[in-house]
Amino acid sequence: MFQLSSFVQKAQSLIDPANFIIPSLTPSADRNPSKSSLFRQQFRLPDSQNPLHEITAELALPVAPPSSSTHGERPRDGDRPGNRYAGQLHLSERFLCFSTQPTSFLPSASFAVSTSFTGQTHGTGPSGNGFTVPLCSIRRVERLHSLTHVFALALTTWNGALGRHPSSSAKDPPFVPQRFTIQLMGSRQACERFCDGLKKGLREAMKEIEDLRVVVMDCYSEYLLTGGSKAKGEEPDRQPPDAGLGMVFRYPGDARKLRDRSKMRLWAEYFRENGRNFTLIRQPTFHKLIRVGLPNRLRGEIWELASGSLYARLRSPRLYHETLSKFDGRESLAIDEIEKDLNRSLPEYPGFQSEEGIGRLRRVLTAYSWTNEQIGYCQAMNIVVAALLIYMSESQAFFLLSVLCDRILPGYYSTTMYGTLLDQKVFESLVEKTMPVLWEHLVKSDVQLSVVSLPWFLSLYINSMPLVFAFRVLDVFFLEGPKVLFQIGLAILRINGEELLDVQDDGSFISILKSYFSSLDESAHPRSENPKLRAVTRFQELMVVAFKEFSGITHSTIEELRAKHKDAVLENIESFAKRTSIRNLGPDSKRLSVEDLGAIYDRFYEVLYDHEQRQKLLAEEKKRHEKKKFERFSVQAPPPDAEVGRVGLGPSSTQMDYDAFREFLAATAKWAVADVRGQAWNEALSEKNRQLSNQSSVRGRSKSDLKLEDKPEPADHEFMQRLFRNWDVDRSQGLSLQNVVNGLAHLKGTRDIMNSINYFFDLYDNGTGQVDREGILGMSEALLFLSRRGFDGALTPSDLPDDSHDAPLSPYDREQKEDTKLSTDERFLGSVSSFIRRCFEYADPSHLQNQESTGGGTTVDQAAADLDAFSIGDDDDDLIEIEDWPNLLPAQSTSKSASEPSNPTSPSRAASESANAALNPDHPLHITLPTFRMVVLADELLEQFFESFFPQSFHLSDHPHPASLAPSSSLSSNLTTFTNLGSVRSQSFSSNRASVISGATVAGFSGGIVPPNKGLRGVLDNIVSDGMRMAAEVRKKMEEAQREMERNALGREEDEDDEDEDGRGLVTSASSAAAMVGGMSSWGVGIYSIDPERRSVRERDRDLLEGAEAASVVDGKDVHYPTGDAGGGDRTNDHDSQEVRSSRRTSDSVNRGVFSMVEFDS
Amino acid sequence: MSDSAAGSAQKPSSSVKLVLLGEAAVGKSSLVLRFVNNDFQENKEPTIGAAFLTQKCPLPTRTIKFEIWDTAGQERFASLAPMYYRNAQAALVVYDLTKPSSLVKAKHWVAELQRQASPGIVIALVGNKLDLANDGSGASGGIATATENGVPGPETDGDTSEARNEEQESATSDARKISTREARGYAEEEGLLFFETSAKTGVNVVEVFTAIANAIPETSLKGTRGGGAGAGQSALGAGRSGDDSRVNLGDRNAAAARDGCAC
Ligand SMILES: Nc1nc2c(ncn2[C@@H]2O[C@H](COP(=O)(O)OP(=O)(O)O)[C@@H](O)[C@H]2O)c(=O)[nH]1
Ligand SMILES: [Mg+2]
Repeated sequence: MFQLSSFVQKAQSLIDPANFIIPSLTPSADRNPSKSSLFRQQFRLPDSQNPLHEITAELALPVAPPSSSTHGERPRDGDRPGNRYAGQLHLSERFLCFSTQPTSFLPSASFAVSTSFTGQTHGTGPSGNGFTVPLCSIRRVERLHSLTHVFALALTTWNGALGRHPSSSAKDPPFVPQRFTIQLMGSRQACERFCDGLKKGLREAMKEIEDLRVVVMDCYSEYLLTGGSKAKGEEPDRQPPDAGLGMVFRYPGDARKLRDRSKMRLWAEYFRENGRNFTLIRQPTFHKLIRVGLPNRLRGEIWELASGSLYARLRSPRLYHETLSKFDGRESLAIDEIEKDLNRSLPEYPGFQSEEGIGRLRRVLTAYSWTNEQIGYCQAMNIVVAALLIYMSESQAFFLLSVLCDRILPGYYSTTMYGTLLDQKVFESLVEKTMPVLWEHLVKSDVQLSVVSLPWFLSLYINSMPLVFAFRVLDVFFLEGPKVLFQIGLAILRINGEELLDVQDDGSFISILKSYFSSLDESAHPRSENPKLRAVTRFQELMVVAFKEFSGITHSTIEELRAKHKDAVLENIESFAKRTSIRNLGPDSKRLSVEDLGAIYDRFYEVLYDHEQRQKLLAEEKKRHEKKKFERFSVQAPPPDAEVGRVGLGPSSTQMDYDAFREFLAATAKWAVADVRGQAWNEALSEKNRQLSNQSSVRGRSKSDLKLEDKPEPADHEFMQRLFRNWDVDRSQGLSLQNVVNGLAHLKGTRDIMNSINYFFDLYDNGTGQVDREGILGMSEALLFLSRRGFDGALTPSDLPDDSHDAPLSPYDREQKEDTKLSTDERFLGSVSSFIRRCFEYADPSHLQNQESTGGGTTVDQAAADLDAFSIGDDDDDLIEIEDWPNLLPAQSTSKSASEPSNPTSPSRAASESANAALNPDHPLHITLPTFRMVVLADELLEQFFESFFPQSFHLSDHPHPASLAPSSSLSSNLTTFTNLGSVRSQSFSSNRASVISGATVAGFSGGIVPPNKGLRGVLDNIVSDGMRMAAEVRKKMEEAQREMERNALGREEDEDDEDEDGRGLVTSASSAAAMVGGMSSWGVGIYSIDPERRSVRERDRDLLEGAEAASVVDGKDVHYPTGDAGGGDRTNDHDSQEVRSSRRTSDSVNRGVFSMVEFDS
Repeated sequence: MSDSAAGSAQKPSSSVKLVLLGEAAVGKSSLVLRFVNNDFQENKEPTIGAAFLTQKCPLPTRTIKFEIWDTAGQERFASLAPMYYRNAQAALVVYDLTKPSSLVKAKHWVAELQRQASPGIVIALVGNKLDLANDGSGASGGIATATENGVPGPETDGDTSEARNEEQESATSDARKISTREARGYAEEEGLLFFETSAKTGVNVVEVFTAIANAIPETSLKGTRGGGAGAGQSALGAGRSGDDSRVNLGDRNAAAARDGCAC
């Protein structure tokens, strides 16, 4: 139940509003709590407990000692000695529970039956009359064989025996062990099955008897009956256990007036008759004794018992002190906040004016903040804990606080405080329903009830009423649950209703209630003739109104209203958190539109949430397997409710790791979607399905969980790893929302080609301003990776024969001209190949001795020859033969750790490389940003790629920031680049004049579609054709899994006409890339119009290019739920029952009459 | 209960709901304590959600009874803030002029109020802990919206102190991190009242509240006696015209700020 997993308190995570985790796309999760959790709620059991067996039964208590005056709820006729109760007997891993509340938690039971205990409980609380005993406290179970048709068990407990001094037993009155019988009412088979489960549980429980002894010895009831009552003889009396600060600083209120002594005597008597602490049996007197107010020294223990925190303490009796010593000396934000409030926690109580009290308060709050870092510390907890510490030890208060925060009041103290806000809504709607006139008046006078009632709920009235009365409310609250807070609140308003109808503002409203609270000890009817009536205090009146008049307010009333208002409350919190978060994203975020930021925000948290859910499911699945193998009755926590982590319920994680980042990208850009589903992904999904089908047999599932299947599987590519590292500016191995926003803002914030070129270069720049050989190869691979799903029309080659006459194509036109699009894709391959060539061609040597080889007029020719040398050579030695170049191509490494730039001098076994300066690892080389720019701008498609496709491929909202749409004016810088290129770099026959013209043209068309370029590009492009093949190879290697693509690439290779292409490039001095590309285009059209088979391949490609949806539709068919064999639980049960049957048969034949199933003696 | 009638029997009295917002530890509670009790000390009251206090502020023509919601300091209580500002007529957005992050937070609250609170809400931006700036004695404040109307705000005062600030910022080890000019500029842009205060010395504290009292449009005031329902309605209805009133009230405000509340 405690999460000790991550100890590092991130101060930031509490300050950062991004914490209000909100995957706002997730619909409200499964509302129905699981049967297990209902079971735990009813009996206040720890999270490790599950309902394993249940059976209708009758509890028969032994005849009470003469003084007894108790009456059973359903007392039988006088022929029976003691009280008898009909009810339901439940068995969990470690507990045996009996309740008169007719509840069933069988998997087959309807939800209504499971929740019926939430109805009126007539003061008994959800667990009714009966008992909740840990199996380890049962000493002996016997089967009574009195009548043939009766299946009865006699239970003997450790009650009173654990704390006894063996030596003193002689003097004491004879010890009478607690013993009672339970008659099981079911088929013989059912009874035997139950007994079998019980037997197993009892065996397991033996281990816990020492823990039980430890915890029992801390119970004041134990001291009261065994230690304290002893006459003050020679023997040193046992020290009384710590019953809170009150033992030192006095308990609040006048003990005489509170009739503390008589209450104590009544409790002692009750304990003697019905057992104490763990073995206490709840009879109606128990509830009555609580209603009249608990005696000081027993208050803490009964709170523990009623709330169930006693059982949590039994599970880990040393946790409190261990936690404190484990974190001794550590600092955290929570600790700072706790420190500030220590002096303002019940300062009126003397114990908290002393270092002793303050110290206890500090330790309990601190220990809790470590065990639940998601909550940490919330103001108001200081007040609650201070109140608890008056009546209980630190360890007791620690566990009670945990149960309070985690189970009784979930969400009250979370970082979004949604539970508190929700309950104010619930309270308001109850007021509206029960007191419509008052409600209307408050609305009219603009008085907001919830601001007044909020502190009542948040601090459990402790800060609103005088302490003595607040504790009386708490007495009932721990027994009956949160509905008590509502009943009291309604009663307060009802009693003050008339006066409240006069208020016009918050001030008068508050002052009426203030004076009411301060007069709670006064007579409710001071002027009454009847002295009895006069003696009734206002507080008593309050209790009567709360629990009589508002007895109709049950736990299920509250649950229903919570369910009704939950979405609205969460949405309010979410939209508030989102606004806050987006406003606080800093200056860079302003480059994106509010819609874009909203889209990023939603996507970010959705991915985090989904990712987390998936991890959790996988972990659970794993645990489940292990559990099956090793331990049938695990004490490990069961799966938490599906709702955990959902929507503004509070923060879980606020950083995306790389895997989550991939999912984010897959939801953002087409190219980040994997081409085929990986093994791991499918496994995850099938685990998920298994999980779902199992759970669906137990409880209704929401569709939110099913969504996982529809998610595209993200690709994994070195480019994505680089992006991740680039965005992770603080090197935290995780991306915060801020990181993601900044990353995208820099990329998309300005529609400036230079920006996007620089951005891309930066991804490969290893910090030196240079990109080396591997980087260049990585870049070209990334270009292919990014382009492999098409361009969505972002790239428009300028001279397509089909559409040269009209403006950019609408998406519709694009569809129509499928083959045109295809050729764009293909020509982009050409562009990438020329990119590689040019990069190597214009690369600078990284060492001086290499400079000679790049100097002089032979550069271009040399480079071309080099490229020829490696690209035409046999495939195995090809540049792009990735497997042979593991070190050169980090791109292919899938592990994140291998993403460091690799050693530039790594060996290669390519035969041709010694003659090839570009490839020779002994001649390291690099390109710089200007070179990169030049190479990109030298190619029309690459230019368009960087100008529009690359930034646009990150899809955010449909309303981008206007600035990012504005035509770029920075293209004038192209001019310089081209000029430089022409004059400095180009050694060929191309004229500088042409390059200037080209540049001018580009500038003139800035931001739009670039017209055919003449001159310089042609010069560069005349070396393109070899690169084509090279690029095709790259592609082939990269997309091995993608059959269609590969075939396509091969096909092109076959038909390639190198001469023709070269010829074009060389013939016309003004030959443009456009011209060449145009040629290819028509060639492409030819192929596909001729070859129907190829065409159909292409159609399938298109499906693929549609991306995620298409893929998931196909996959969706495969991953249906195996509903046929749903319900692993059922199967297990069947299996169990078979086992039981067979084992029973044998044992039955042997055992007749009274037999002892299990017997333990100390 | 009917304490509202007591104080100023002659003048009409109306209550104004005011909410304090701002980062933890900027001095919200201290400002309220100074205003309500004219005192400065560590906060002994445990705050659950928000502390509620009232204080009357007599103006020449009427008495304003402030109903002050001082929101809790812890960050997570920010989720609750909408409950408090929802139908507030005035808001004090406080930052600590020695702590830049607190102005960022203040701007967030201003944006939040402008978007989510009732339209006529009067917002004052307050830079607290002026005593920690070396020019601590200098009072600055006024109507940031006034530029267009030609109302300089209380004002020549503020301007000189501002000039002084900037000199001293470079000169000595001034704890001030946010210049008057920067904050005032922002306040002007957003149409907020602007003051720099010290809860410790009391400088400008009463002035803030008085300026707010003056800036509340007459139409959005509701009487404390009688016709509650009607008044409530009118308060909501009048919201729309709030912006205008806020600007136009400049003159009166400037005058009133000087005589201040008698509290
Ligand atoms: N020097 C100085 N300190 C102040 C001033 N106002 C508040 N403080 C201190 O700042 C701290 C936080 O004040 P508090 O009123 O609790 O802030 P809140 O969290 O905004 O309510 C306390 O230690 C105050 O003493 C001021 O005007 N000057
Ligand atoms: Mg405060």
